[in-house]
Amino acid sequence: MFFRFAAAIALVVAVALTGTAIESRSLGLRRAISYQRYQLDVLTEQQARLRVEAQRAGAPAQLVEPLEQGRLQLLPPESPQRKSQRTTPLMNWE
Amino acid sequence: MPASPTPAALPSAPLWRRARLVVTLVGVGWLVLAGRLVQLQYLDRDALSERAEQQRVFAEEIAPRPGDLLDRQGRLLATSVQTRSLYLVPHQIPNPQAVAEKLAEALGLSADDLSERLATQGDRHFLWVKRRLTDEEVDKIRALELRAGTWGFRDEYQREYPQDALAAQVLGLRDIDGVGRGGIEEGADGELRGKTGKRLLTRDARGRVLEVLSDADQPPLPGRSIRLTLDIVVQLFAERELDQVIANWKPESCCCVVMNPQNGDILAMASRPSFDPNHPEAADLDAWKNRTIADIYEPGSTFKPMVVAYGLDQGVLKTDDVFHCERGEYRMGNRVLHDHHPYGSLSLTDVLVKSSNIGMAKVGERMQNAKLFEAATLFGFGRKTGIELPGELTGILRPLAKWTSYSTGSVPMGHEIAATPLQLITAHAALAHQGKLVSPRLILREDADATRLQGLTQETVSESTARWVIEHPMAEVVSRGTGKRARLPGYRVFGKTGTAQCLSPEGGYVSGKYVSSFLCGGPVEDPQVLVLVVVNQASVGSEAFGGKVAAPAAANILRQSLVYLRISPDADLMRHAADWESDVELQ
Repeated sequence: MFFRFAAAIALVVAVALTGTAIESRSLGLRRAISYQRYQLDVLTEQQARLRVEAQRAGAPAQLVEPLEQGRLQLLPPESPQRKSQRTTPLMNWE
Repeated sequence: MPASPTPAALPSAPLWRRARLVVTLVGVGWLVLAGRLVQLQYLDRDALSERAEQQRVFAEEIAPRPGDLLDRQGRLLATSVQTRSLYLVPHQIPNPQAVAEKLAEALGLSADDLSERLATQGDRHFLWVKRRLTDEEVDKIRALELRAGTWGFRDEYQREYPQDALAAQVLGLRDIDGVGRGGIEEGADGELRGKTGKRLLTRDARGRVLEVLSDADQPPLPGRSIRLTLDIVVQLFAERELDQVIANWKPESCCCVVMNPQNGDILAMASRPSFDPNHPEAADLDAWKNRTIADIYEPGSTFKPMVVAYGLDQGVLKTDDVFHCERGEYRMGNRVLHDHHPYGSLSLTDVLVKSSNIGMAKVGERMQNAKLFEAATLFGFGRKTGIELPGELTGILRPLAKWTSYSTGSVPMGHEIAATPLQLITAHAALAHQGKLVSPRLILREDADATRLQGLTQETVSESTARWVIEHPMAEVVSRGTGKRARLPGYRVFGKTGTAQCLSPEGGYVSGKYVSSFLCGGPVEDPQVLVLVVVNQASVGSEAFGGKVAAPAAANILRQSLVYLRISPDADLMRHAADWESDVELQ
């Protein structure tokens, strides 16, 4: 009788403890997901800001005049697809 | 056996009655409580649960990120970044005056104004202090260490325009509440805005957040990014030339449109005066107007090619027709028409090349009002082009019933009708596109069906007629006519000059004020670029001819655009360019 009673109590306690552990794990995972979402928001925002900066720096309004005045050098790529030197006749026809 | 109690030991009858009364009352009380319990827990359960839920669960809106605007090459024209906006909870602030002074010092606001607002709205739960703070301002606010629960930041989106003032009127603005105002921001607001999300939170009786119910999240749907037909490099070319026009001729205003006539793509659209959308507070009132769609003017001589094309197509005119231009003075009914120079007989080609008003009046006499009206309607005058921008005007094309014999001479010269610059370039694009009128467009659609529907064409004149007008009179306008300043080495260019008197708001014309315009395109063999420059009331010098004021700017824009778009010049034409360059300088 005593053993049955003790076993029943032990079973109930074990189930409760397991439930608590699962609940705790679930909360931990939810926190991790929330944190990932927050990180994603932060990184998306950083990407937007950096993109604005990059676009501002490379805006045609910044580059066209120096290019026309020859203050910017056109660098050839390191590994060109064509062996012959590239020319830009349309930019030089004047 | 115990003895039965004596009559003296039993409770008396009155006491017994009182006891029963008390028990009855207590029993009734318990029944009432039980009944109330049943009512609350069973009968009113749903209503009370809902009320508790409303008090406990709070839905917070999450603003969506608006879509970006890109040019046709993918360069960023408009995007949004997050900023913080400061709010206060006035009814939680015990010392509004002190808080107002601290905040005013940190944010550069008026302490008295802020203090007054806190005093007059002291019972509110939410009060904006300043929106869209800079990072430095956010740090200053944090450093103040104000009492928790009395203030907070809310994330909002601020629009950034990395190309600064380029295409300002085309793009428009998003206001402080994220609503598009003007331009594509307004025209495509539904697509750009996105859909607000929702996040459910539980809060206690004091409004403090206990838990985020992430299972019930409704994430915000970001706005759709839109790619425009604009090319920001061509836009830059156009705006630089307009700045030069402003410097050289000091007009009231000017504008420019660059279009691909084969598909109606708008490559550039610019107006002056203009503004920087990153600093709208510094803009003049008249800088907001997109003059390419919101200004109307009499097209003048730039209307003539459409009239001639339609007359040829209807068989009323022939390419070898000759018109006597009465030596510069022609009585037509009650009026006397004049040309700038006294011409004798001119071919139909020369009527356009020399831009003879008398020649065109005689064309009008042959065509008569009905056909002139058909020509104007067919080429899109008097109705909107349907471009995806708000505020487009329809122009003025009076009903045929209101035309008079006066109209027969005026309309062929481009008077008695009013059009926007966009309507005019669209009409010319029909001639450049084998006689097919294409709707101009600003938004590049990737969906094939949408693209097909957008590019609906309307036949105006036959392909052969359109080609003849482009290759002969309009090309000769540039090679030997009023548009010589638009000649480009290496390219065969066509064009038409226009000089029209300014319309007066009270009716009639403003004396001595002109709208100078020039439309050009190239190459003649296969037109890829069309440019229209309109200059309103140039105030430098005594002459305001389109060929002098507007043609050089239009030609420069055309030349730069052709080179940029890698449309190769003709080698033979390049070799002969030196022959007429000196001719232009002498002009």
